[in-house]
Amino acid sequence: MSAFHKLIARVRTALERPVESAPPHHEAGGMAPPHAEAARRAELASAFAREFAAVRGEFLGIHAPEEIPAKVVELARSLNALAVAVGAGVTLDFEPIGRALEAARMAVVRTNAKKRDDAPPLRERIAQADLGVVEADAAIASTGTLAVVGTPASPASLTLTPPANLIIFHADRVHADLAAAIAALGPEPFVKNRVAMITGPSRTADIEKMIVLGVHGPRRLFAIAAWPR
Amino acid sequence: MSAGPSSSGFLESSRRGVADADLRRKLENATGRHLEHVAATRAEFPAFDSERDAARRIKEDAIGRLDELLVELKNKLEANGATVFVAADAGEARDYIVNVVKRAGAKQVVKGKSMTTEEIELNPALERAGVEVVETDLGEYIVQLRGERPSHIITPAIHLSKEDIGRLFADKLGIPYTAEPETLTDAARKRLREIFLSAGVGVTGVNFAIAETGTLALIENEGNGRLSSTLPDTFIAVMGIEKVIPKLSDLPHFLEILARTGTGQKLTTYVNFISGPRGRHDADGPRAMHVVILDNGRSAMLADPVLREALYCLRCGACLNVCPVYRRIGGHAYNSTYPGPIGSIVSPNLFGSAAAELPFASTLCGACRDICPVRIDIPRILLHLRWRESVAQPAIKWPKAAVKARASVVRFARMARFPRTLRLLTRLAAPVLRPFARDGYMRRMPGVAGNWTRWGRDFPALRARRKTRQKPAEHS
Amino acid sequence: MTEVRLFATCLAEEFFPSVIEAAKTVLERLKLKVRPVRASFCCAQAPFNEGLREPALDLARKFLRACEPGAPIVIPSGSCTSMVRIFYSDLLANEPKLAERAAALRPWIYEFSQFLVDVMKVKYVGARFDRTVAYHPACHLTRELRVIDQPRALLAAVEGIRVVDFRNPEECCGFGGVFSVKLPHISAAMAEDKIQRIQESGASTIVANDCGCLMQLGGALHRRGIPIETWHLAEVLAAR
Repeated sequence: MSAFHKLIARVRTALERPVESAPPHHEAGGMAPPHAEAARRAELASAFAREFAAVRGEFLGIHAPEEIPAKVVELARSLNALAVAVGAGVTLDFEPIGRALEAARMAVVRTNAKKRDDAPPLRERIAQADLGVVEADAAIASTGTLAVVGTPASPASLTLTPPANLIIFHADRVHADLAAAIAALGPEPFVKNRVAMITGPSRTADIEKMIVLGVHGPRRLFAIAAWPR
Repeated sequence: MSAGPSSSGFLESSRRGVADADLRRKLENATGRHLEHVAATRAEFPAFDSERDAARRIKEDAIGRLDELLVELKNKLEANGATVFVAADAGEARDYIVNVVKRAGAKQVVKGKSMTTEEIELNPALERAGVEVVETDLGEYIVQLRGERPSHIITPAIHLSKEDIGRLFADKLGIPYTAEPETLTDAARKRLREIFLSAGVGVTGVNFAIAETGTLALIENEGNGRLSSTLPDTFIAVMGIEKVIPKLSDLPHFLEILARTGTGQKLTTYVNFISGPRGRHDADGPRAMHVVILDNGRSAMLADPVLREALYCLRCGACLNVCPVYRRIGGHAYNSTYPGPIGSIVSPNLFGSAAAELPFASTLCGACRDICPVRIDIPRILLHLRWRESVAQPAIKWPKAAVKARASVVRFARMARFPRTLRLLTRLAAPVLRPFARDGYMRRMPGVAGNWTRWGRDFPALRARRKTRQKPAEHS
Repeated sequence: MTEVRLFATCLAEEFFPSVIEAAKTVLERLKLKVRPVRASFCCAQAPFNEGLREPALDLARKFLRACEPGAPIVIPSGSCTSMVRIFYSDLLANEPKLAERAAALRPWIYEFSQFLVDVMKVKYVGARFDRTVAYHPACHLTRELRVIDQPRALLAAVEGIRVVDFRNPEECCGFGGVFSVKLPHISAAMAEDKIQRIQESGASTIVANDCGCLMQLGGALHRRGIPIETWHLAEVLAAR
């Protein structure tokens, strides 16, 4: 505690010195979230899709919620996935996705299932999966970004350790830019949970500034927009 | 203090940099590619300059009331369940972290990219305590395997070619030689993933600390920062006191400019927000979270009205890429954690007189100020430090050439006070020297000007009429 | 406006007297009476950049005494013009009287190309120059004074000239005053790379507005025996 007070004292003394630049004026307020009428929504979703592709994300289209389980199965098959880790939805019910995958004879790692005593911890089972599936809390059109809030039912590992990742987002939750998305999310999820903003698959440019995907996080990132009929 | 430059090493190390034609080619390619990306992303974002101004105003405000913001940050982080430690200097920070690691009983520490932990020389301290430290950012991993320090704050292995890295991996990881970046990256991924799953402690830096919510924002592309702060049971974040910003709604202004300048992306792949350890029902995330807030000379910079601005730095690395000096000598020549223009300001303040030469390693061309996302007036601060160092000069051991050059400027300034005498002298001297000149140039000069002619340049003769100046004629 | 004052700068006086004559010639062609500033030799940039405040103050004082507000003062150097227009306010921060004088003088200080285009409103000054030219935008001119288009406009109006582009034109030539002898290896490497890029452009002549850059690039070219010449913008504009 006293080290902290010493630091604060040092900082205060330093701040008593004259400042060179004019005192700042703080601007208040961000942008209001965009109006959710259909045309605007479609425009934002298509802007998102364009930016998402620009960061090498693979956009799988806009689908009604009831079509999504079949789309997930199709994707998992194309990846030759043996195991898929499925989180809980935010606006959508993810249970049909798990059932559809099981019906297609794939192992499903469920985050909300009661753990058997002999099973390895959930995060290890997620790390073994070939695909992680979550729902984003928000999408950002100007940058092609998906904001995912980690919760007990949707742990951060889902978008981190499997080699491929599918993020589903609700078409109502696409915001024009970062400021609008952060304003819409509000401070609460940031305080209570771990939030990740994800813009494309994991990448590096550490070797001669050449871009290589999948250095630590997922190599492939897919997105589906959900648009209820 | 050993993370700083060794005394008067800059002259020799910068000579080595300049003489390494291979290094210069690699730097030119990599930095050139970066500058092209930056120009392209900026061109398609009309709000870039207004976002810069907004970000700058937030930094001015935040640094101007750092005391209250640090109190708020600490309270909020503690309320979120994190443990906060304030370190006055590098030693205190190291001791604290080593202790936390020991208490956690960890044999292995994984690290995300963090210049602040380079600054406090954390790795050797952990190794002395018998802990294995693994850098997980690909570039950092590469330089760690080579036993080097990063040569750039964003692209640590910028001084290496893919062939260099191919040979390194063949040697150290025992994989067949290849210069394919994809194959090399994959080899590192496999090796590091195993370590991520077993390491007991993760350490990362911090890009922004939001006082309002007690949230740390970590910005990265690879995902290693996310892994380091998610998988190990103990997570330690290390940040300088200047990283704090007031509100969550301030952050977008920084995010809009940081990647556009640092890497030429609109946004980095990951922006990770961490406010505390995992909740009771969470399946991942650290069980214990420690935040080390480091002063180490920063409050002294804060006290200097000109230097204070340097605390606005976001560590985007763009000033290195655009700097004509950095591009010729590379980051290792600076012998400091922080190379390049911003490093030439920060290093003498964090590491003391051994880095006193660095503010002079600039032509004051201003390219750094123009590219800086928060418009830090780097040339002006360098001038301020030059003046400050010249006042404190007796304490510093300068290279002989520098002392001579400086003395000759003093002599010139003294003579220049008497224009008529000086003009008479040069008028008298000019014809005497003329026989030594060829086409109006001298091949060799005595004294300080000898440094000019020894290094690839003829020196213009006094008051010479170069014959080429008389009539223009196309000669092709 | 009939009278202008011409501040020659120390580098032009010592090494490039033809630049002073050329600047005078061009200004006289515009029917201006040119009176040189004789009572000052150096703007103080050399000691100022070295962190030598007291010697720099002496020279700034000398310059401010030698000049009066009321007639434009033209300087054929972006660097020296920046010193007076911009850096004097830092140098004179603790000298209120001198600072006041500098502030009064500031609106009368012009870099050569800035004066021609912004004040005299001319681009064509009757020059002819039958060469392929690479224009080197000097650092202080570009990034302190923000004089970017004026020299290019003047060059474009010269008869017979062909101006070519080269890679990364804004990168510093490496002169940097005392830097060029304190860290000569870095300085020379910067010149070397710049010259290489200009050579690729096929230019036979480099044009710049600063004698420092001309000295640096000219010296490096001459040492290598590369037949590219270095001309000051004023010299090009005086050519016929």
